[in-house]
Amino acid sequence: MPVSAAGRVPWPAIQVCVVVTALSMTATAEPRPEPGPPPVKAESPARAESPDELSPQELAEIQAAVGADAAAAKEEPPPNTPAKTTSAASSLAAFLPDIALIGDLVLAYFSDEEALSADGHDPSRTGFNLQQLELSFSKSVDPYFRLDANLVVSEHGVELEEAYATTLALPASLQARAGLLLTRFGRINSMHLHARTFIEQPFMFAKVFGGEGNRNLGAELSWLAPLDWYVELVGSTTSAHGEETARSFLGESEKTVRSPLDFQNTLAIKQFFALSDNWSLMWGMSAATGPNPNSDSARSDVFGTDLYLKYRPITRASYTTVALQAEWLYRRRETDPGKLLDTGGYAHLLWRFAKRWSAAARYEYGSPSWDGAASIATDPLDPEQTSARHRGALCFAFRPTEFSRLRLQGTGDFPGWQPEPNWAVLLGLEVVAGSHGAHKF
Amino acid sequence: MKLRITPVLIGLLTWLVAIPARADLDIVATVPTLAAIAREVGQSHVKVRALSLHTQDPHSVDAKPSLVLLLNKADLLLSVGLQLEAGWLPTLQRGARNAKIGVGGRGHLDCSTLVTLREKPVSVDRSKGDVHPGGNPHYLFDPRQLAHVAIGAAARMVELDPANSTSYNAGLARFLKGLHKTRKRLARKMKAQRGAKIIAYHKSWAYLTHWLGLKEIAFLEPKPGIPPNPGHIARVLVAARAHKVKIVIQEGFYPSATGKLIANKAGASLVVLPGGVDFRRGQKVTQYFDKLVSAIFTGLSG
Repeated sequence: MPVSAAGRVPWPAIQVCVVVTALSMTATAEPRPEPGPPPVKAESPARAESPDELSPQELAEIQAAVGADAAAAKEEPPPNTPAKTTSAASSLAAFLPDIALIGDLVLAYFSDEEALSADGHDPSRTGFNLQQLELSFSKSVDPYFRLDANLVVSEHGVELEEAYATTLALPASLQARAGLLLTRFGRINSMHLHARTFIEQPFMFAKVFGGEGNRNLGAELSWLAPLDWYVELVGSTTSAHGEETARSFLGESEKTVRSPLDFQNTLAIKQFFALSDNWSLMWGMSAATGPNPNSDSARSDVFGTDLYLKYRPITRASYTTVALQAEWLYRRRETDPGKLLDTGGYAHLLWRFAKRWSAAARYEYGSPSWDGAASIATDPLDPEQTSARHRGALCFAFRPTEFSRLRLQGTGDFPGWQPEPNWAVLLGLEVVAGSHGAHKF
Repeated sequence: MKLRITPVLIGLLTWLVAIPARADLDIVATVPTLAAIAREVGQSHVKVRALSLHTQDPHSVDAKPSLVLLLNKADLLLSVGLQLEAGWLPTLQRGARNAKIGVGGRGHLDCSTLVTLREKPVSVDRSKGDVHPGGNPHYLFDPRQLAHVAIGAAARMVELDPANSTSYNAGLARFLKGLHKTRKRLARKMKAQRGAKIIAYHKSWAYLTHWLGLKEIAFLEPKPGIPPNPGHIARVLVAARAHKVKIVIQEGFYPSATGKLIANKAGASLVVLPGGVDFRRGQKVTQYFDKLVSAIFTGLSG
């Protein structure tokens, strides 16, 4: 800012002018939560730093101009000026949580009566399947916390999927969550059904953590590193129990907690690289460790990496999006006869080729379990899975708006331990009513 | 030895002196027009970044984690409000871990609280398309509303950084003066076109048409956010011919095939307008309005 030494500006006059102007605006600019620029005292030292030389004539012009701006906006009052919220009912409504209702219905055909369903919310039989009806609530609690809760109604009953408090004002770029939460292991685990691309979920997550995904009661602390690119470190401690949420750990066993090592401890690092305006890359690495019920000191460890590469042009008119998403898991368990190792993952490619249309293809692999000597061993959790499983899927989606989605998916499942592959055709409808949730990247 | 150290010290001192002074206020704006206002008011005392480009539809911006980093360090967040950014800004605000610009923080200014809103729906239902319950959020196309926004933003800048209040007030005065002159000149230029009927793609122009006295007789979208369909477009074409519409206007981020078709069939011209100030290339707000109105003027006079 150039510093004027000439000092012929009647600077306080500018301030008075601006303040008067701002005050004159309050008549039209409603509602105004705060007054205009506060007057600066005439003896302000800023006088010496007066930025520009403005003549009294120019000041008069400014005053006239701004006054005219206000008058112009007043000329023709718009038909619908915002109504002032005066009633007690509407002010109370402002404190109610934002609510959304999300329904997922699938009409399915399976070539095999006993479909190898993995995820608890996958359609499992020929005919109509209610994947779930999710009811989500969220609201700030006070200046320090926010509460999020998701209730899920499915054919198995009503369950609490997530309910956690998030801190809003921790220092040092820290954020904590506590309650019933999906751990941030990998990418897809913490995504809700309506944020996922395919109707059926990747089977490796169900195989490793359980049909409900890796979620449990616990607490999480995350930190945004002060670097030039996005690096987030996430650590969480959650209960290691749960047949459908922590099956590689304590699962359905009733082993009691004696030390912090009896929890599932998870660590993840997430990095984002803005390669250009149009290309983005997100890369994560995760590790989870916890006890398993095979002996007092037996441990299970799961390691994972996830990659999300997205192309979406934003420098020109286009609805095109191409996204590659892949995750790989490696699991190591100490069991009675010895070590058990297995691995698997998925990769999918999504292509949005019109405002409303997209297509996606996915390949999944799950290995059998090996013992320490690299020979195939019987896995007590999945005793029938004595060889590899491959699954491929194609999915076309039509989105009338961002609140509804129709999907047609074809799946070919090749479990090596079964003589015949399983085929499935799924037609899914998803609808979202209520508050407009914000999307994660 | 001393002789060898001296040049190093001088070099170090020169380097330290040459480090640009840290801006007093770190401002992040959701859209480029708000960023341009902040830059013109704050000048050298502020560092301003925009979360989206003028070529992006502000309804659907990706919540890229790199944007979280900008918000993490921000002192002031300027948003359009009225749920325009509902699909992405809350994710960024939560991820930013910066209470200053979070919900309820003094560092978050929802600029829709500063302006006179139009088209506030009497009843809200998504069967009517993607309606904004608080009113039409596209007020940044009207320089009169922009004046209110600049005054409110400057007031907040003064509140957060009182040491530079004189500079912000002077920047505001200069900005308002330039904006006023441009507004008057453009309104004079468009005087003969008042009452002209136009067709628009989306309901983005309620404030612009109110300012310039243009009349929107139809929209290519059958309902806000719903893409054009043949039946609706046929009706729009009939209306375009009946009203002798001269221009079809739309932002650059919408597809232009339908607009071109209507324009061709109705003997009108398609005017593709920038969705905001080209902040990245340093465009000024007045230059932007010049370009915007000139394009409309050319279309209407052609």
